[in-house]
Amino acid sequence: MGAHIPILAIAVPLLGGFATPLLAKLHRRLRDLWALLVVLFVGACVGYVAVHVFAQGLWVYVLGARSPQETLAPGGFPIRIMLVVDGMSAFMGIIAGLLALVAFPFALKFLPEEEGKNLALTLGLLLLAGILGMAYTGDLFNFFVFLEVTSIAACALIGYRTWTSRAPEAAFKTMLLYSLSGLLFLLAVALLYGEYGALNLAYLSAQLRGSRVDRLALALFLGALAMKAAAAPVHFWAPDAYGEAPAAQTLLLVVNTQVSLYGLWRVLFTLYGGVWDAGLGWLVVAMGLLTLVVAAFMALLQTDLGRLVAYGAVSQIGYMMLGVGVGLATLAGRPDYGLVALKGGVFHMLNDALTVGLLFLCVGAVEWATGTRDLRELGGLGHGLPEVALCFLLASLALAGIPPLNGFASKILIYEGSFRLSPILTAIAVLASILLLAVYARAFQGAFLGPRAEVPRRVPAVFLLAMAVLAVGIVVLGLVPGFFLEGVVTPAAEALWRGRAQYLAAVLGG
Amino acid sequence: MREALTVLTGQGYWSPLIWAAAALGTFLLAGLLWWRGRREYKRGTEQELPFVSGERVENPRVGALHLYWGLTEALRPLLERLRGWHSGVVNDYAGWFVVVLGVVLLLLLL
Repeated sequence: MGAHIPILAIAVPLLGGFATPLLAKLHRRLRDLWALLVVLFVGACVGYVAVHVFAQGLWVYVLGARSPQETLAPGGFPIRIMLVVDGMSAFMGIIAGLLALVAFPFALKFLPEEEGKNLALTLGLLLLAGILGMAYTGDLFNFFVFLEVTSIAACALIGYRTWTSRAPEAAFKTMLLYSLSGLLFLLAVALLYGEYGALNLAYLSAQLRGSRVDRLALALFLGALAMKAAAAPVHFWAPDAYGEAPAAQTLLLVVNTQVSLYGLWRVLFTLYGGVWDAGLGWLVVAMGLLTLVVAAFMALLQTDLGRLVAYGAVSQIGYMMLGVGVGLATLAGRPDYGLVALKGGVFHMLNDALTVGLLFLCVGAVEWATGTRDLRELGGLGHGLPEVALCFLLASLALAGIPPLNGFASKILIYEGSFRLSPILTAIAVLASILLLAVYARAFQGAFLGPRAEVPRRVPAVFLLAMAVLAVGIVVLGLVPGFFLEGVVTPAAEALWRGRAQYLAAVLGG
Repeated sequence: MREALTVLTGQGYWSPLIWAAAALGTFLLAGLLWWRGRREYKRGTEQELPFVSGERVENPRVGALHLYWGLTEALRPLLERLRGWHSGVVNDYAGWFVVVLGVVLLLLLL
């Protein structure tokens, strides 16, 4: 069974999602237990895959064959569906598994039964399956299929609160842009298929010549994935979507955004790594800077706590793009500082998942307790909700990169790496961090400080437990960053930095 | 153990343990200064009331939206421009997508 773990990590939540409403017909508790078991199983699978990949290297799983070489056609390309899990894929799987393990117990309590809880749990599991499919697949068309699975599930979760006016509108906007993004991605895949007659990522990577058609496809990939990753100036859907989805489900939307970013790295480093261009790195750096600055300024204007956190989340995408963009821009000479920046960008994905996840859970707890997220109405909640206030403060400081929390550990790598490329990049990134600190100080003051306010509803213990898990993660990653950097982040960054040759050799042989 | 606690940045290193020790020292120093401070301060008395031009203020709390008023006023032209871009109209968002795609195509094809 161990040999089939990568496919089980995708198949179990996919089938589990469809089985959820059927089990709900028998008993609601059975459905809840089932959802928890599925998520626990997925968590165990992604953990197993990660341990295996970090210890033994790249894992190629072929559907219907024992090894990829058995599937090679006379033309030299693999003809079966395959999953190719390298350090970066395994790292993405860890993030997805970790946030799912926190989000689902929270959701079971947070989602009211009469508001379509069955649907939300089903969609959550489908979204998880799609995310893991995107992370593990080694085939461009399968990547597109999983991209669509995540898009459909995510849009339905965003519009989950159909009785409000804003949620369906946010879902419609997201759906339109996701559709545009998906179509362009498919067009790019079709262009490459037309040129090379294959869809396997490794094979295509070996064949790409950097022709005009290849470049056209690259532009389409870049535009489609940057939009889905919420990079400025195509990030507009994200604050609406994050702000309207139920808090627990927003965690999965955060991972959905990150896996699109992962897809962008896969395209730029693995697929196009052989015909790489320094200008691409600078393009990613420019989009990253624009994202972190625009989102930080927009956060300053928000009066809704959910939207404020959403803009903070978008700004963090900018830091990841800056770090990885510096790595991409310096890929030719592979200087040490390029790898440092790349590690910072990758490490920030994990840190962002924890900090933004915790902030969204805090927003959910505040909404649960008071029935509002409007900063003009909130205040003094620190007296009645001290645990939530502490978690919000901790996550805010981590997001702003205050030492010794985890956000600082990744940001210092990004700062130092980008400084060697151009000090202006670092200066802008530091200024945006300061602005974010100011924004979150304002949010904390507005919601939690001031004279004691009535708290109509107590926050359930399971909410606090879910928040505590993420809070402990933030502190531990901040205090022992070297342990995670060497054990988890470096293999992921190295998979992008010099892992292309291994990736191709593992699939194509030789 | 040392590797687990330290991050090498290429130019130097970051050690949360050293930072924590420095922070502890700073807190101890601040505590010492506080301990040597004036002792006639009493909580819950009128010593805690804010002084605003000699007037007694009933609700002295500054709301969250009033923080950074000066900053947002100074940046108003930029912020209003940014707010305008986030119009909430999906046609505008799709338009931005087309613009970005056009720029990327030009950069990669020319």
